[in-house]
Amino acid sequence: MTPANKETRRTVLLSTATHLALGAFGIVFIVPMLWLILASIDAHASWGLEWPHFSFINFRHVLTGSLLHSLWNSVVLSVVSTAIASITGVFAAYALSRRRIPFKTPLLMFILFSSGVPLAIMIIPVYEMFSRYNLLTILPTALFLSVTSLPFEVYLMKNFIDAVPKDLEEAARIEGASTFQVLRKVVVPLAMPGIAAASIFGFVNSWGSLVVPLILINATNQQPAPIAIYTFLTVPKPEYGNIAAYSLIFCVPVFILYSVSSRLFREGFVLGGGVKG
Amino acid sequence: MTVMTSPEGTVAGPDLERLWKTRRDRDRFQWSSLALMTPAFGLLIILFLIPMGYAVYLGLTNLTLVGPDSVKWGFTGLQNLSRLRQDSTFWTSLWVTGGFIGGSIVGVLVAGYWLASLLMRARPWMRIVVGGVVVVSWMMPAVTAGMTWYASTTQGGALGTLIGMRNTNFLDSWPLVIVTLANIWSMTGFSMLVIGAALRNIPSEAIEAAMVENASAWQRFRSIVLPLLRPTMIAVVLLTALLSLANFGLIYIMTQGGPGNATNILPLYSYQQAFSFNNLAYGALIGNVMVLLATVFGVLYVRVAAPRS
Repeated sequence: MTPANKETRRTVLLSTATHLALGAFGIVFIVPMLWLILASIDAHASWGLEWPHFSFINFRHVLTGSLLHSLWNSVVLSVVSTAIASITGVFAAYALSRRRIPFKTPLLMFILFSSGVPLAIMIIPVYEMFSRYNLLTILPTALFLSVTSLPFEVYLMKNFIDAVPKDLEEAARIEGASTFQVLRKVVVPLAMPGIAAASIFGFVNSWGSLVVPLILINATNQQPAPIAIYTFLTVPKPEYGNIAAYSLIFCVPVFILYSVSSRLFREGFVLGGGVKG
Repeated sequence: MTVMTSPEGTVAGPDLERLWKTRRDRDRFQWSSLALMTPAFGLLIILFLIPMGYAVYLGLTNLTLVGPDSVKWGFTGLQNLSRLRQDSTFWTSLWVTGGFIGGSIVGVLVAGYWLASLLMRARPWMRIVVGGVVVVSWMMPAVTAGMTWYASTTQGGALGTLIGMRNTNFLDSWPLVIVTLANIWSMTGFSMLVIGAALRNIPSEAIEAAMVENASAWQRFRSIVLPLLRPTMIAVVLLTALLSLANFGLIYIMTQGGPGNATNILPLYSYQQAFSFNNLAYGALIGNVMVLLATVFGVLYVRVAAPRS
């Protein structure tokens, strides 16, 4: 056998092994999803994995009444908390990026630190504070959720604003634009991909949150979709098909938003922009 | 910030010295900066720092959720701390947390690296299909991931059906293993993407040079890939630890900490004490232990991830 021939055989073997291993990985990762997909289109679903009695009845069932209302609550909760975090965040990010601020480094460290620490663990003292002032409703909960995504949003937006060239801003200044005008007309449009990515992060964070609204929202008719999913399980004989269909619908906005943000992130963005790999 | 020292040899009077110290080529502090920062930092102070301080105090009181101690409560000193020391469930919970986080770190790192390096050599269609499946499992909200893992590992679920053990309730038999696997499943996509990006940044010249020198695959990995990936790997480890601690929604859906206390990680035990057993103060104290734990990881993360200046 010629050396070249041996080399090709090795390459073929290696490539086969690679693809076999990847296939195995793919199967392992897809198995847990199978139930979700099959049960959602099965009129007689159970916990088991079986060929579905194909129908869309589950989807029609769960898009009515209180279940639909829970999805609406999720929209309200996530939109409000994202708006609060992104608007307050962009001001802070701008100041941290452009202005001379005393103790800037410690402030940035604090932002980075609190973006890593799960702030939802503050829920017991926050519950105590909210219950004292009768704030166990959806809007204060949105406020708390906005704080849990605020640090990472600020950090992300600061990195994007850092990359916006200063010249345009200075030109606007010379024309007599105020800080607010500079922000609105120059910085925000140019840093839009970063602001969008940060907002998507905030939205997804609030959308998927289960325990925070479970504890901080008292009224049943204000509770968001994750709690509806959780409640499905607490009845003795759950409607398996409905659970699957509803969980799947619940995922759709997240999948769409993540696909959008992955496009925004394509500019070689790694781990908050801070890590140089 | 910067103290300028006058260059040697110049005689600087008091006026000149002041001129030296106020630099004109730098931005000065503007009061409007304060207005820009106040909303965000105000929120962080009111709903993060104050609750954190409040939790420290609450942990040393006898506040309950309902009953007489929910109205008339007060400082009880170190009473809760000694209770914590003798609380065997707390120590179990600490071990369970360690196992959950440790297992997740190993799983997420190994699976993420393995997938990333395999995908680099794979055909495009394979990359799209397998990479896509892994990324979708990462994007899935914890509630849905928990739901589908519950269905797949319970009695008669997909896992049992596929390996011919239909009557085994995997979730009941190996609860901690299953929830850890579910957590790894839902986080591997993230580490795969991050490690993949770092792998692509390794200059191919370095690998080629090593191949010319006849270095084995293992030597290439140990001497070139691993050192270059180290910062990324450390960041992935710390973030996995922090995100696992935050991913209690997944366990909450799957087992609510049970059976027994087999999956009762600290955040869940803290809620259980506060809202199921009505011991708000004691729950807050357990929460403080968790804050301490998260702080250690968080500080390490800042040291790794902060841009060097």
